[in-house]
Amino acid sequence: MLEIKNIHKSFGKNEILKGVDLKIDKGDVVVILGPSGSGKTTLLRCINFLERADQGTASFGEINVDLKGASKKDVLSIRKKTAFVFQNYNLFNNKTALENVAEGLIIGRKMPKQQAYEISKSALDKVGLSEKYDSYPSQLSGGQQQRVGIARAVALNPDIILFDEPTSALDPELVGEVLQVMKDIAKEGTTMLVVTHEMGFAKDVANKVIFMDGGVIVEEGSPHDIFVTPKEERTRRFLRRVLPGEYEFEI
Amino acid sequence: MDSSFINIEFLIDTFFVALSGVPIALLVTVVSMAIALPIGFFLALTRINEIPVLNWFTKVYVSFVRGTPVIIQIFVLYSVIPLILTGIFEKYKIDYPIYEINPLWYAFVIFSFNTAAILVEVFRSALKTVNQGQLEAAYSVGLTTAQSYRRIIIPQMLVTAMPNLCTATINLIKATSLGYAISLQEITLKAKVAANVGYNYLEAYIDIFIVYMILCMIVEYLFKLFEKRLSRYKYATA
Repeated sequence: MLEIKNIHKSFGKNEILKGVDLKIDKGDVVVILGPSGSGKTTLLRCINFLERADQGTASFGEINVDLKGASKKDVLSIRKKTAFVFQNYNLFNNKTALENVAEGLIIGRKMPKQQAYEISKSALDKVGLSEKYDSYPSQLSGGQQQRVGIARAVALNPDIILFDEPTSALDPELVGEVLQVMKDIAKEGTTMLVVTHEMGFAKDVANKVIFMDGGVIVEEGSPHDIFVTPKEERTRRFLRRVLPGEYEFEI
Repeated sequence: MDSSFINIEFLIDTFFVALSGVPIALLVTVVSMAIALPIGFFLALTRINEIPVLNWFTKVYVSFVRGTPVIIQIFVLYSVIPLILTGIFEKYKIDYPIYEINPLWYAFVIFSFNTAAILVEVFRSALKTVNQGQLEAAYSVGLTTAQSYRRIIIPQMLVTAMPNLCTATINLIKATSLGYAISLQEITLKAKVAANVGYNYLEAYIDIFIVYMILCMIVEYLFKLFEKRLSRYKYATA
């Protein structure tokens, strides 16, 4: 469904992505792991054109684009097939939870208001925020804000949802509620590409795990492949660092 | 001279004379603001996004306006514009008496020229307070840049800009008093003309004072109401 080939991206002289290929099928839950600075977030942002890649191609269903030279029209049509969940939620501060979710439907997709609000309400119900339709972001906790962020993505009914470290900015006790919502929507068959440091989520929910380091994909496979029988030394070193104790027994 | 220090009767009469200049003062303020707002906003965008030539042009323009007295800007534009117009009219053979142009038109040009420069800085600082993530989020749900600005960025930016916009508007109202230099029939000129007859300048000045003060206080109050409305989302309580 989504295939990215040979994506390169530099910021100044600093090359962040050094030729990454990625293939995602419908219904996949793909988790990208890796140390900070490995290019995970940049990869995600390039797919959604929040950053312009320097090189690479993407085919997205019937749309084929050059990531560097994509026209405004292509960018918009790819953005309409994807949705993005941000690390810092990025809810529209001047809009209520319901308006946040409905905005992309009413303005982006020109849906009648009535219908958009119905879809938005059921999306908010799904993430457990039926009581918060009319709350502004400033009235919500971090966990609630991120759940609105997820509802905003789900309501668009995109082909794929991109999650950029969705729990990294949350207080530890709020991480659980967000991960639970992500598990729920994964179970419904939503295609997801998730950058996260939550190893538990990767193990339990992903059907494919990608380990990135230094701007390239070092290793990819099933959660079992990566967590139990990693082949690359770099993967092992990373896992030892993020899963101390747990991992050492499995070497 | 009258035995009393202040001629109360003249003071009261002239108050209404000064008041009769309010429509012109407000007209100049509203029209100049209406012209300056979009220009100021657009130029602020060229600064923020560092658009090559325009960015540089805007910088020079803002420095020029901020670094020169308004009264001198008025004198310069009031002398330069007729020269330019004469040139244009001669070239295209338009027969129009340039020196009969209503000073109101000059006032519109001069004060929007001045205010737009002030607004560049007002909008530039306000735009910087809106997190880049807001724009990215708008893009991610499929909004175009224009839609994102209209629906997400500008409403948030305006809240921050409001206090400075209020100051700019009030400064503009007060600056219209300099319109007397180009015979604009506004508050100051009308009261001064009335005072010329019996040399009652002190009374006239007091009247001018009061009229501007009332005017500015009303504007201040209206801005406060509007600001409250715009910033509902910020102070909503759970």
